[in-house]
Formats: sequence, structure tokens, C-alpha cells
Amino acid sequence: MTTEVSMMHSAESQNLKDGEVSTGTTIIAIPFQGGVVVGADSRTSTGSYVAVRTSDKIACLSDHIYACRSGSAADTQALTDYIRYYLQQLKIETGRPARVKSAAHLLQKLVYQNKDNLSAGMIVAGWDPVEGPAIYSIALGGTCLKVPFAFSGSGSLYITGLLDSEFRENMTKEEARTLVKKALAHAMARDGSSGGIIRTVAITAEGNDRDYTSQLPYGPVSY
Amino acid sequence: MSVMTYNGAAIIAMAGKDCVGIAADRRLGVQLTTIATDFPKIFQMQPKLFVGLAGLGTDVQTLKNLLEFRMNLYKLKEERDMSPKVLSHMLGKILYSKRFGPYFVEPIVAGLDESNKPFLSTMDLIGATSEEKDFVVSGTCTGNMFGMCESLYKPNMEAEELFETLAQALLSSVDRDAVSGWGGIVHIITKEGVLTKELKGRQD
Repeated sequence: MTTEVSMMHSAESQNLKDGEVSTGTTIIAIPFQGGVVVGADSRTSTGSYVAVRTSDKIACLSDHIYACRSGSAADTQALTDYIRYYLQQLKIETGRPARVKSAAHLLQKLVYQNKDNLSAGMIVAGWDPVEGPAIYSIALGGTCLKVPFAFSGSGSLYITGLLDSEFRENMTKEEARTLVKKALAHAMARDGSSGGIIRTVAITAEGNDRDYTSQLPYGPVSY
Repeated sequence: MSVMTYNGAAIIAMAGKDCVGIAADRRLGVQLTTIATDFPKIFQMQPKLFVGLAGLGTDVQTLKNLLEFRMNLYKLKEERDMSPKVLSHMLGKILYSKRFGPYFVEPIVAGLDESNKPFLSTMDLIGATSEEKDFVVSGTCTGNMFGMCESLYKPNMEAEELFETLAQALLSSVDRDAVSGWGGIVHIITKEGVLTKELKGRQD
């Protein structure tokens, strides 16, 4: 009579072990002229308990490359640690800063070759001197796609329409940041496993600009 | 996710000086998706008697209707109002009658009895009742709510202070629960009447 109903991205279907925490989450990356804004919520949950409400899901991989993490917190932390190490090695060996494409494809290799044991959906975004701003989305099985803008995580389902209609090419940094916060606030209003503060990082050639806000700019409509 | 955490709920009731307060969150979800932010979980059965129902949403609504029906029958037969103690006992019996196919609800009864003394009780889904003098909690984040109540509660609070304490206890508890929150509602029952206030909470 009591049944366990599985929902996509819920703890049960994500192959999480007992007590393992999930960054059931909302992460997005939106490009602007000269860079990329990445954003994430800050909720880490084990089932319905909020284990950490101010977590940082935006990991720095190198000077101008960041990764947003969703899925198993342990898996994604381990993956980003590896990529950070590989990118440092690449920088020493080649004498040049790593490309966003390299970071994304390294991550793809790790995820694809360990797909049976990992639960990680990530967005790699940044700026490099060859291509300029670039965003790559790496899905659960190891698919790596270069995309104009990316959104991922359990909460992203609720903002697909919003982003499809509001996204424009060649926004300014502030416009992109505002859109990131708007989309995240709407996702957090509907998804139980997304919440907390909205973290954003604006990545440009000159440097990175990290910010957070705990005031949600949008909420659910009541009738 | 278990059946008791399917829709999400958080309810606290506290006793003050000649008053009781009962507060609940407003969310209705389907597992982790939020469907509504105005779902009622506290029902006024009589001018000074409230029932809070935490658990599966459909059983919350069904049990509320069933309780109303049984109360009306009682009033017709007995020609008097039902006291909180009697309602609590009756609710326990209704739940036990479904011992091997229960209503997935863990109710709270809060009210003032005939002499305007505070009454609080809670029970599990099969009717094991517990009457308390200070506070009772029910829902998907009882661990959080117990912690908040144990720290913030003190006896013989007046109505205003009781409201503040209830509101803070509820809001902080639901912030650590992914399936409850999205606003709150508080009722303070004194011998003069009932004061109802809506809480502005985090919409995440």
C-alpha cells in the first residue's frame, strides 16, 4: 500500500546511497558580451532534510573556467578536484591557460568512463583567448554538448520556457546576471530541492566577479 | 519518499497564559514539486477549537470533512459544544478504527476548554494520543520543530509573545525542510476571540 514513487532527479532515481547528499539543484549559465554569468542555488538535501542551506555549487576549475555542480555532492566534488588538477598540469605543460573546451572534454571523459558509478550533471563555462565565452553542458551519461546557454538540475525543468523566451544574444553583464537571478528564483519557488541563496559568478577576460543574494526577486503567485 | 512526506507539512501548537496558538506552513507539493502555496492544514471546528492535520493531503481533506460530520452529529444529539478533550479522544478512536489501513495523517488538537484553560494534544496516524501542557508538533520536520520549541518556549506567554515565538519556531524549522514552508499561517485563540495572521516566509 505504501509505494515509493520515483521522480526524475529525486534521491531514489539518482542511485544515491543511504544518507548520501544530493545537490538536487538548479544551475544555469548565460553568456554576455565578453564573458559568461554562471548561477546556482545553495541547497544540499538528503531526501527532504536540508543538509546545507548555503552551499557553493560553483566550483573554480581555473582562472577563467568554472563548473556548476548538480547530482551527488560527493561525486561532483571529486570530479571537479580531478579536473582542477588536470588543468593545472596542462597549464604547466603547455604554458598557456587551458581552454573551456579542454576542461569540458576532460570532464566528459571522466563521467563517461565511470557512468555506472557516478551521478553528476554539470555545466562547464568560462572564457578563453581562443574562443571567447563558451558554455558546455555535460549530462548524466557523459554527453558533452556546446550550447548557447545552459540550465541543469532538478529545478531547471520549471524554467525551460522562461529561459527559451527571455534569452537574447549579446546581453550586457548586468542583463545576463538579472536573467540568471530571475530564472533561479522561479525555479527555487517550485522545486523543493532548490533553495537558499542565489550565487552568481561573472567570468570575463579581466577577472571574475562573485556575488550572492538571499533576497529572492521572484516567488510563486498566490490567487 | 515515504507516504507521510509526499505532500509536506509543518504544524506547531503552543500553550500560553489563558491562550493557545497553532501555526502551520502553506505548501502543497507532489514530492519535490510545489503545487500550491495556500493549502489549508488548520481547521476551525468551533469558535475556540482548532484541529491541525499534517500528512497526506487527500487524507487531511477527508479527515477534516469526517470530523466536521461527526461533530455536527454530536451537537445535534448532545445539544452542546464538543470540548477539546472529547474531540481529541474521538479523533483517536476514528484513527484506530483504521488500524490496518490508516489515514496517513498525524493530527494536532488545540483549543480552550469550557473554563478557557488551554488544551493541546497530538497523535500518531493510528490514534495514539498524547496530551501536553507546553507545545506539540507534527509534520515532515518534527526534529527541527522540537529543537526550536525546546529552545524558544517559555510558559505563561501572553498572546503577542506567543505569536512571535510560534512564528519564529515555524519559519526557522521549515527553512531546513525541502517539502514544507512557502509561507505560514498562525491562529492565536484567547477567551476574547481568535487572531489570525499570515506569515511572510522564504518562497523556496
